Amino acid sequence: MRILRRIAGLLVLSWLAACAATFDPDERLSFEAPTRAEVPDVPLIKQEDFFCGPSSIAMVMQWAGSEITQQEVAALAFSPGADGTYLADMIGSSRRLGQLAVEIRNFDQLLAEVAAGYPVIVFQNLGLGVLPMWHYGVVTGYDFEKDEVYLNSGQLDKMVMPFAVFERTWRRGDFWGLVVLPPDQLPVTASEADVLSAAAALERVEQYQAAETLYGTGAAKWPENWLWQFGLGNARYAQGDLRGARRALRRARGLDPSIPEVRANLAFVEGEIAG
Amino acid sequence: MNFLDIGKKGMVIALSAQIVLATSTVTMAQTEMLGTEAAISKYAALANRDALMGEMQRAEVQAEIEALGIDPAEAEARLAALSDEEIATMLTQMEDDSAGAGIVSTLFSVFVILLVTDLLCFTRFFNFTRCVR
Repeated sequence: MRILRRIAGLLVLSWLAACAATFDPDERLSFEAPTRAEVPDVPLIKQEDFFCGPSSIAMVMQWAGSEITQQEVAALAFSPGADGTYLADMIGSSRRLGQLAVEIRNFDQLLAEVAAGYPVIVFQNLGLGVLPMWHYGVVTGYDFEKDEVYLNSGQLDKMVMPFAVFERTWRRGDFWGLVVLPPDQLPVTASEADVLSAAAALERVEQYQAAETLYGTGAAKWPENWLWQFGLGNARYAQGDLRGARRALRRARGLDPSIPEVRANLAFVEGEIAG
Repeated sequence: MNFLDIGKKGMVIALSAQIVLATSTVTMAQTEMLGTEAAISKYAALANRDALMGEMQRAEVQAEIEALGIDPAEAEARLAALSDEEIATMLTQMEDDSAGAGIVSTLFSVFVILLVTDLLCFTRFFNFTRCVR
């Protein structure tokens, strides 16, 4: 009986969605998105069984110049018992591969990233609530006039979806999306706090060089905030670069002399240099 | 949207809070480097709180709150009682609901007022607020 009710509920939902008008950017977005955008040169990788997650990460990393394969990503991300890849492992594996990984959660962010030239991994349910078919794909472009969203979706052909269908499948994935970039580039919609915690996460998985690069990238964009120099100092220290760490921590102290953590770490590093 | 460098006027509060928090970290500093992650969460939370309290202190917001028949001192006390997580949740919901950039200056005050009226059981806007009469 409960199943029947769920099906009835679903029918109502899909009926509502079917009645939805085409995607109206003026109404739906809070920024002026270009009428169409396409991220060039995102490779199409045919996914192996259940490897839509790893192949999505491999596609965006290869687009950025890496030579990684979906098998190599899968070794870090895939859960054989679940025949799939968990959201947390999508983020975690990207970071263990030294990438900046930042989640997005709405159309504004998705389309702004694509318009800025960055592909976005999205989590979709291509089935129904009662018969889910969870899937990861990479959004590489869209066209409002043609009412089309373009995805590299684990097949050798580009996938084309009307906005309404894409929205329905993405909504069932709670509008989850992930921007994965090398640490010398920043997603356009990520807040400073998002990027800071992504950088600290790179430190946590001992990707110190990537963390150092990302702290430097953040420092260039947000030069007033001492936290970037503090992170830079810590990431350099972790790689044994004491003098580099001291330079960064001194800059942090210059930006805000009142922070006890900065003074403590600077004193610690100076002690090691002297000792 | 960036709350880390909002609220210069809240700086005094932040600095005094930092000094209180500082004592414990400094005394234990010499055995190892202090981690970036802990510093980020501590100072991001302070910056969020600053942004919220700073907005509360703006004349327009105070006037609006008084017009609703709420004592601003009580409103401030209620906001101050929120946990770091609750403030972060509130700011996230605000970002999601306002969906986009450039919205901070105008809408932020509305969200702060809604938060106050939520806490005082006049409205039910934020999911995490619990009204107990």
